[in-house]
Amino acid sequence: MKNILNKEIKGIIDTYPEVGKILEEYGIGCAPCSVGSCLMKDIVGIHNLDPLQEATLMYRIEKVIYPDRDVPEPKVDLTKMATPRKITYSPSVKKLVDEHVLIKRLLALIPSIVEYIESSMEVDKDLVLSCVDFIRNYADKYHHMKEEDILFKYIDENAEIIQIMYKDHDTGRNHVRQVVEGVGSGDKAAIKEHLLGYMDLLTQHIKKEDEILYPWIDRQLSDTQVGEMFQRCNAADASVGDELPRKYENFINELEGKFLMEVVK
Amino acid sequence: MSGCPGSRTIDFSEKEEQGESESGKRQSQLRQWPLQLHLVSPHAPYFQEKDILLVADCVPFALADFHKDYLKGKSIAIACPKLDSDQEVYIEKVKSLIDDAKINTLTVMIMQVPCCFGLVQVAKGGAEKATRKIPVKQVVVGIEGGVLSEEWI
Repeated sequence: MKNILNKEIKGIIDTYPEVGKILEEYGIGCAPCSVGSCLMKDIVGIHNLDPLQEATLMYRIEKVIYPDRDVPEPKVDLTKMATPRKITYSPSVKKLVDEHVLIKRLLALIPSIVEYIESSMEVDKDLVLSCVDFIRNYADKYHHMKEEDILFKYIDENAEIIQIMYKDHDTGRNHVRQVVEGVGSGDKAAIKEHLLGYMDLLTQHIKKEDEILYPWIDRQLSDTQVGEMFQRCNAADASVGDELPRKYENFINELEGKFLMEVVK
Repeated sequence: MSGCPGSRTIDFSEKEEQGESESGKRQSQLRQWPLQLHLVSPHAPYFQEKDILLVADCVPFALADFHKDYLKGKSIAIACPKLDSDQEVYIEKVKSLIDDAKINTLTVMIMQVPCCFGLVQVAKGGAEKATRKIPVKQVVVGIEGGVLSEEWI
């Protein structure tokens, strides 16, 4: 089993699709991941399952991979289960989770925006470019930069899960570039494709961060690091000022006013 | 079972021991004196820019690995929110620790009994009055020595 723990998850799932289904049952969504280069042992560690769940998961996977092997039933030290498991975030990480809420509000509007663009005679350039402005300046510059410049610096940046996050950020930036090009050439199909691509990417990205990555990072931070990071994030926010988040919250409020009213009509 | 949970008599002397290891001597992680909140000065060198524990008096007796798991590397002040007097002074001291000593974090450790949550109110009161903002954590310890919860508040 040791050599399985050191293998990349994509290779394991490709060979044994049943493993992907078992992981899904434990809330570990590796099967649809486009990268899949995380090692099996890291995946189990990152998800912080309680000892009984972890032992049962590994037992079931081992039975799939080695059906003829006499795999012993999991034995668990139940005294270890007293460890609290509730997800709580340190203050700086909690602020990043809160910033996701505004980004998710834009993502929720994208299908309506795409529908509106498709049904319009001409592309509403101002509308699309103001969404691009939100994505570039709030989601990317204000939010992702705090992750890349501060949060990720407190852990091993070579960890697969961090590399995946960086890749997601780059893929998102590429979608946005394609949207801007689509606006320039009036290519509705390209705008639709890349706005929806951005929506799908960020929806999964935010879910991974809120539920898996951020709690995993928080578990590794010492109190001293939490305090340092708090001051660094506050300084980053102060350098931007209160006006920027307020401006983009107003933008989303207005956008919801426009498109949610359309839905009501 | 009635009366104040903070002073109710409970005997768990028959509790079964679970996998304890007591080999070797342990070193104290205390690096300062005094530690009672009325006696300490926020200007003491051991508080400056440090991670601070504000601990209810009973906690270190209940939590067997208090020194190893919590006190190590930190400075400390202790208080009893049920019995101590002049607690408005405590609020001012917490404020001064944050603003003057520029402490990095504050971890409030209390027992699970309701009266102990008064110490969290002291910490929150001081933090709200302070100009600087810092992360504040709450750790609740059970009367039988387990950590019941640990979260940033």
